[in-house]
Amino acid sequence: MGEFNKKSAKILVFSTEKISDPAIDMAGLLKLHYPPTVYTISVPCSSAIKPSWILYAYEKGFDGVFIAADGSDCVYGESCTEKTGNLVSKTHNLMKEKELDPARLRMAAICSVCSASFVKQVKSFNEYLLKTLHN
Amino acid sequence: MKDKKKIGVYICHCGGNISDYVDVEKVREAVSGDEIVFLSKTTMFACSDSNQRDMVEDIKEHNLDGVVVASCSPKLHLTTFRNVSERADLNKYTYVHANIREQASWAHSDNKMGATEKAIHLVKAAIAKAHYAEAQVAPKIKAEKRVAVVGAGVAGMKAALSLADKDCEVLLIEREPFVGGRVAQWDTLSTTTETGKEMTTRLYNELLKRDNITILTNSELIGNKGSVGNIELTVRKSPRYIKGNCHPEDLKRAIEVCPVEVPDEFNFRLSNRKAIYKNYPSEYPQTPVIDMKSCTRCGECEKVCSSIDLSEQAEELTFNVGSVLMATGFDSYTPAYGEFGYATSDNVITLPQFKRMIDTQEGKLIHKGKEVHNIAYIYCVGSRQEEGGNTYCSRNCCTSTIHAAVTAKEKFGKINNFHFNRGLRTYGKQELLYADSLRNGDIYLQSYEDGPPTVTPKGDKTIVKINDILTAGEELEVAADLVVLVTGMVPRADNKVGSLFKLPKGRDQFFNEVHMKLRPVETVIDGVTIAGACQGPKNIAESVNSALSASTKSFSIVSKGELETEPLIAVINDDKCTWCGACEEACPFDAILKTEKDGRTIAQINNSVCKGCGMCTPVCEPDAIDLIACSSAEIMSMIDALA
Amino acid sequence: MENTIKNITYDALVIGGGIAGGEAALNLAVTGFKVLLVEKDLSVGGKMIMLSKVFPTLDCSACITTPKISEISRHPNITIFTGTEVGNIRKVSDTEFVAKVTKKPRYVHVADCTSCQLCEQACPVSVSDEYQYGLVGRKAAFIPFSIASPKAAAIDIDNCTLCGACEKVCPTNCIDFTMVPETMNLHVRTVILATGFDLIDPKKMPRYGYGTFKNVLTAMQMERQLAPTRPFNTILRPGDGKMPDKLAYVLCAGSRDATVGNPICSQICCMYSIKQAQLLMGALPMADVTIYYINIRSFGKGFEEFYQQAKGMGVNFVKGKIGRITEKENGNLTLRYEDINTGKLMEADHDMVVLSTGVVPPKGIDGLFEGETLYMDQFNFVKQSDPLANPSKTSIDGVFVAGTATGPMDIPDSILSAGSASSEAISYLIQHV
Repeated sequence: MGEFNKKSAKILVFSTEKISDPAIDMAGLLKLHYPPTVYTISVPCSSAIKPSWILYAYEKGFDGVFIAADGSDCVYGESCTEKTGNLVSKTHNLMKEKELDPARLRMAAICSVCSASFVKQVKSFNEYLLKTLHN
Repeated sequence: MKDKKKIGVYICHCGGNISDYVDVEKVREAVSGDEIVFLSKTTMFACSDSNQRDMVEDIKEHNLDGVVVASCSPKLHLTTFRNVSERADLNKYTYVHANIREQASWAHSDNKMGATEKAIHLVKAAIAKAHYAEAQVAPKIKAEKRVAVVGAGVAGMKAALSLADKDCEVLLIEREPFVGGRVAQWDTLSTTTETGKEMTTRLYNELLKRDNITILTNSELIGNKGSVGNIELTVRKSPRYIKGNCHPEDLKRAIEVCPVEVPDEFNFRLSNRKAIYKNYPSEYPQTPVIDMKSCTRCGECEKVCSSIDLSEQAEELTFNVGSVLMATGFDSYTPAYGEFGYATSDNVITLPQFKRMIDTQEGKLIHKGKEVHNIAYIYCVGSRQEEGGNTYCSRNCCTSTIHAAVTAKEKFGKINNFHFNRGLRTYGKQELLYADSLRNGDIYLQSYEDGPPTVTPKGDKTIVKINDILTAGEELEVAADLVVLVTGMVPRADNKVGSLFKLPKGRDQFFNEVHMKLRPVETVIDGVTIAGACQGPKNIAESVNSALSASTKSFSIVSKGELETEPLIAVINDDKCTWCGACEEACPFDAILKTEKDGRTIAQINNSVCKGCGMCTPVCEPDAIDLIACSSAEIMSMIDALA
Repeated sequence: MENTIKNITYDALVIGGGIAGGEAALNLAVTGFKVLLVEKDLSVGGKMIMLSKVFPTLDCSACITTPKISEISRHPNITIFTGTEVGNIRKVSDTEFVAKVTKKPRYVHVADCTSCQLCEQACPVSVSDEYQYGLVGRKAAFIPFSIASPKAAAIDIDNCTLCGACEKVCPTNCIDFTMVPETMNLHVRTVILATGFDLIDPKKMPRYGYGTFKNVLTAMQMERQLAPTRPFNTILRPGDGKMPDKLAYVLCAGSRDATVGNPICSQICCMYSIKQAQLLMGALPMADVTIYYINIRSFGKGFEEFYQQAKGMGVNFVKGKIGRITEKENGNLTLRYEDINTGKLMEADHDMVVLSTGVVPPKGIDGLFEGETLYMDQFNFVKQSDPLANPSKTSIDGVFVAGTATGPMDIPDSILSAGSASSEAISYLIQHV
């Protein structure tokens, strides 16, 4: 019952239509629970996420942003990993300028069947955010 | 952004799948206040015919500009509801979907309040997106009426024949020098009098009758460009180093004089072959091949056979196809060193090796010089593993083993079969084979799930011991002359082709279909279908069924000669663009060009090449690029709704 | 009558509107061929539309079936006749079959019916509802079930008293007692048999007490209790309406059993029983569920994992075949079985028993053709003439077979088999112009 009342952090997940979103769907199918304050917006490819969107999410009160990246499975090509990495580091820099903890942005490659890994990632992110932001 | 839009919102109970955890009425109330929501309803099954009809009526009656359905994953029913919109004369891109099942009711079935709260936000975000969802015209592209079938095993050959009979051109690409795949390796088959080789020959002869099939053996796919409708494939065709029409006697001599001996994979390394070889006399294509990986180029063969030409070079060929059908098959599980005595005990072999032994021997069954009488079969080796990756059942091995055991008994006599199994899975009519083998005196011993048999060498025998469930846990042992490890099917270790197309894999590491029941032979990669055992363990008939299903699917992609593509591509804001070239560099498809417009140098999107990945959008410093249906304004309004 | 028989022409006739027939019809239609889909029942959707959820994904069955049915019903190249029997089929040339079909009167004009259910409320006749497998009753004027397609009323004329109450309340005047059977000659170029399967009648095994003991039901009855469109909205014992808390599944009820003439394995019972057990654990969290089995056959993609998942959830698996079931005064049941793990004869009490009844062929398929012989196998399933290389070919050129008409099969395999049969039919149509 503890889980029921526990406050959870507000996390925005950017998933990808063909790779990580199916994994998040499967997490639901398998009833692998995670905090209900984790919201997903799906985009075609993780290297299409604009840093301005991430900053806007913090502005609007999200505790964390999680990029469920395509990784090497990206259907649009090998360069996705590098480009996603670039936009993450670019955003990290912008966060530092705004005095936001860069650890509030996380990224991990989530393959199309990596449901368990997704749940593990968002749970640990949730714990981190609760510890650092909601004490 | 067009204002005063009128949309309808439908929230699905999914017969309890959603409404058992999410208070759908509360969701409806919470979202009905949005300025563009003209009507909001809950429905037992949004996807049912009656609700679809209601939606069409609603749209027409109230002149709605768009619709949002909150139900299951868009992977299941986005298309269903886009089609509903179209039937009501709305452009299908005005439709927006919210996933409140997989990502709300099911994911948070432990927390009904949380699930309801999340569903409300998700539907609000979808409505925010609907503010922006505009009509789009899907561009049409030409589709090559040609399909590439990768792998010429039974599944691939059947798929090729089926496509050819639909008047579609086929390119059948086989990596090995010969066609037939696994089935060519088998002699007798269950449920038919035809042997595997005969079946391969029959199918090959059928292939040759069709003038719209091009067969490429010894050929590997190495390049893949373009996308559904027009996929450009690069194939590396290795030479056979033997010109056709050579004299059979000369060739025989060439094989004799070849000094190289390597383990014969066709016989699962039970025997050796030469560097110049053919697996069996009636194999196709009829011309033998020189295996250049093991050939020493000593030139002995060239001396005795004028048809041999070691200077032949590999060719790289390119083909344009509309769709690719994958039938790349499976590998047989290789047991770990010492697993049930594998590689550590002389008497231990695998099921495929055993099947080759039955095929190649006559009179007596001999292993390592000794006649075999007692055979112990250990089932589920590499399948249904508690530890190790293969948790799945390989489906076909029970029947295949019993068939091999029955065949061995019939062919060699004086054979006692002992089956150490974990519960026989001779499903359907295969049960008859199991009953037959029981009648013929085969002995079945069944272990507990957590008590697999042990294998210990003793003299020239091997002792297989088990706590047998069927005799109430009594410890039973068999002194076996031969121990056959019933190895299951595993995905191909060499996944180059899978990587080339970025084919996703399932939890079992086989290629994954989009949906087992709704789209069983399609993959998330548009235009690529899958057939046979590359998707998971299957027997021959099941492989053929999936091959024919996939051929119909690939055919339906190319048959009309044109295809609609996604209109959701990148657009440039001409006023903001200052042409720095960053987008051009980021684009993996060369879809961005430099152009002059009103005296300024700006970027331009080549609409027919852009695939809408969006890689160009975050790199644009002046923020002059957006993806249609994924613009900054839309995403930010969704973030507003979720926050 | 003969001179009024209509002659209609289609490219393909698909017999059976279950998931296999529907899939085959859709494939043909998408490729551009005109299809007539004939279903003997009042609704298409077959067995699948009646199911609760499907293994191993636990997708709700209706969520997968209804959109497919909707697509089939709407496709411009598909015509559906429900409540229609195929009399006989003659091959008149290499490229033509003539099928005589009879549309039974529904006594309701489907196009005008709004499924308002007023007729149902007005009808004074109550009979057992075959669509709910006898769990509840229905009227003689009735809508078959809530997600039926077409969703329209029908009059069960055998039980109707012709009182006229339904006609009076019908707001669209769509009830019409003057309807008569309509026989048509269909000219088609190819035929797909997707005639499906029946479940064995559990009364053939009196030792299980089905029909005598009220709390012994079939798995299909349990399927209806678990379905989203379920009659009770919970799980109840038919005997006294109590919620059960100690349930048993008897696997191989009428399969792998030569004494009832069905020695083969039905291929689906293990998995559907495991699925129901998982759903019951959710619906009745306090209940014990025991599955009595000979071998668990979880052989398909994701099936073994699904079986292990059930074990993990606490479903009790007992290796043993049930010899007999007896009923106690309170309606509970005593199961006598040989526990194979201990070798002992055991008894166990349960308050509800579900028989996982096996798959048998439907009757009358062998007699469909006139002048040609449709070969059947020893069990009376349609015989495949080349079972490995051409699994959907039959003994008659131009006639193909899909789904469980050839023997037991699960849904994914039925769909692939339907894909195979329609693929052969498409090739046949293209090659035999």
